[in-house]
Amino acid sequence: MTRTWLIVRKDALVLRRSPFLFGILLAYPVAIALLVGLVAGYSNSKPRVALVDEDNLPATVVIGGKRFHVDHTIKEVSRNVKLVRLSADDAQRQLRTGQVVAVVTVPPGFISTLEGMVRSPKLEVQLSHGTISSRVDQQVQALVYSLNRQLQRAYIDTNLKYVTLILSGGKGTFLGEPIDVIGLERSQKVLQAMPQTRRVRVLEDFIHDARLALANTGDALRATAHPIQIAHTGNRGRTSALSAQVQATAIALTITFLALMLAAGSLASERDENVIGRLARGLVSLGHLVWAKIVLAAALALMLGVAIAVAFGLIIEIGGVEGGEPWQRLPLLVIGLVLAGGALGALGALLGALAKEARSASLVALLVVLPIVFLGLIPAEVVPPAGWASTVLPFTHAVSFFRSALFDLSPWGELARQALWLLALGGIFGVLARLGARRLLA
Amino acid sequence: MSDQPLLAARGAGRRFGETVALEAVELELLPGEGLALVGPNGAGKSTLISLLAGALQPSEGRVERRKGVRVGWAPQRPAQYGRLSARENLELFAKLEGEADPEEAAARLLESFDLPGAPKPSANLSVGNRQRLNLAIAFLGAPEVLLLDEPTAALDPEQRRRLWERVDALREAGGAVVFASQHLGEIERHAGRVVALRDGRLVFAGTVDEYDRPEADTLSA
Repeated sequence: MTRTWLIVRKDALVLRRSPFLFGILLAYPVAIALLVGLVAGYSNSKPRVALVDEDNLPATVVIGGKRFHVDHTIKEVSRNVKLVRLSADDAQRQLRTGQVVAVVTVPPGFISTLEGMVRSPKLEVQLSHGTISSRVDQQVQALVYSLNRQLQRAYIDTNLKYVTLILSGGKGTFLGEPIDVIGLERSQKVLQAMPQTRRVRVLEDFIHDARLALANTGDALRATAHPIQIAHTGNRGRTSALSAQVQATAIALTITFLALMLAAGSLASERDENVIGRLARGLVSLGHLVWAKIVLAAALALMLGVAIAVAFGLIIEIGGVEGGEPWQRLPLLVIGLVLAGGALGALGALLGALAKEARSASLVALLVVLPIVFLGLIPAEVVPPAGWASTVLPFTHAVSFFRSALFDLSPWGELARQALWLLALGGIFGVLARLGARRLLA
Repeated sequence: MSDQPLLAARGAGRRFGETVALEAVELELLPGEGLALVGPNGAGKSTLISLLAGALQPSEGRVERRKGVRVGWAPQRPAQYGRLSARENLELFAKLEGEADPEEAAARLLESFDLPGAPKPSANLSVGNRQRLNLAIAFLGAPEVLLLDEPTAALDPEQRRRLWERVDALREAGGAVVFASQHLGEIERHAGRVVALRDGRLVFAGTVDEYDRPEADTLSA
């Protein structure tokens, strides 16, 4: 252990003597984290959807006596997508080339069907292929849902006018034809003026019950249109930028880059410096050398992870962010950082042993770390193969451990599971690195 | 002085994949002995020294070391950490060699090899100074056997003289040295026996007197 510790101290000293390299190694994952954030933000931005107007939508349309400004209405309901008016041909071309993710076509006769208020007109929707098509479909559905909500009010108002006509009587129109309705109130008065036979009383009872029932038609119609309503009670909780997921991912991403690249580079550099033979002839065994790189990676992961967590926590405390920072959970985070740093260090040592040269090892580590991180960021439910692949890599388990350690109410089960994963992966990669380290002597 | 060899290669050979770097070699190194390895570039001298040092494991045969014998090794290409100073390198390897007082051992060798004590990365030292540091590290841990691969290639005459003084003193104290060299004068002065290698094969083993000068010239060509 003393000899391992001597090598770890030497590596730390060498790292301290390379401030530029260390700075780059620190800045790089932060830059990548920002880029990932930007990409994530982009993926949440409004997709571009083509609107093909084959019905020559007018500037305004009257439905149920309510006037709609078409452009204003489209703007109101398309908050989640960016609607662009295109010709049918242009829309198809842009859909093929991926410039738009969907085409919404307003077919001929759409407005007249809508104004008739008897049948439901249909919008035609074409989606692009690919992983985001389901999300676009949801957003187009949200667009139609918003449009329907606007129209429902007009439909309900119109239907209620008919109900009022049935209740109180009077003149109106139906399917464009004028009608004159006696109404329940006037019918009741006519019956009251008639001799009160049993059959007349039965009719009066029916009219009485019908008036009571129809008096509640407005609420019933609204309830039918919206069986469940959403009541917004004000914004609570953190912004997504300060969420538990972002904090856990940022820490994991940073230590993944650092631990992997440092372990790979420092093991391979023992050969570059021609020192590996001097060490391996009895001073430091290859096993101890690999172990030293794992310890170095774990120590750096611990220092940086804690620094990021503290910086994050200070931002949250100073900003008075909802929920605050769970400072009492830092000891759990420390355990996770050591385990994750060790597992990543073992993987890095394996890469260093296989690459043999420090430059190649750093390049290989860089090439390997990006897919590891991106695989871990893809939700397993969306792309199951990505989930399977990331299961055998430490990044995903590190994220889960950190998130659970910091924010789960009862983290123990998840922590134990992820700790076992990290230990097992670290052990496997460590053994492979030890076996591969023999290549450094060749 | 025991006749039991300090170090011996028993059919030790080494392959790198399909390439045979050194065919099986039988060799014994006795106390007080100086053994010179000669041969052209790529003959297998460095591989044999690495095998004797334990820096490489033999693909066949074995290397035996008398119990308790300590071996110092200076490879042909300096083996030290470029970002550490000469003193830091010496202190680190002194600790790894188990020196009782690593700082004192480092200071002694710095002075003895006339190395700069300034905290300057050893990568920035001159070629000669880096080779001196390489040799100084080999003397850590009070070795009885020295394995030196082209030790004087980058040294000036004064440093060469001082190195051989140390080597001869070690031999007189019962130690032994194996060195690879292209300098026949050094071989004649500091070796009792010569082993010649060519294309990974041992082609000659005998005393310096038996070593035929024309043959040596051919081997070293």
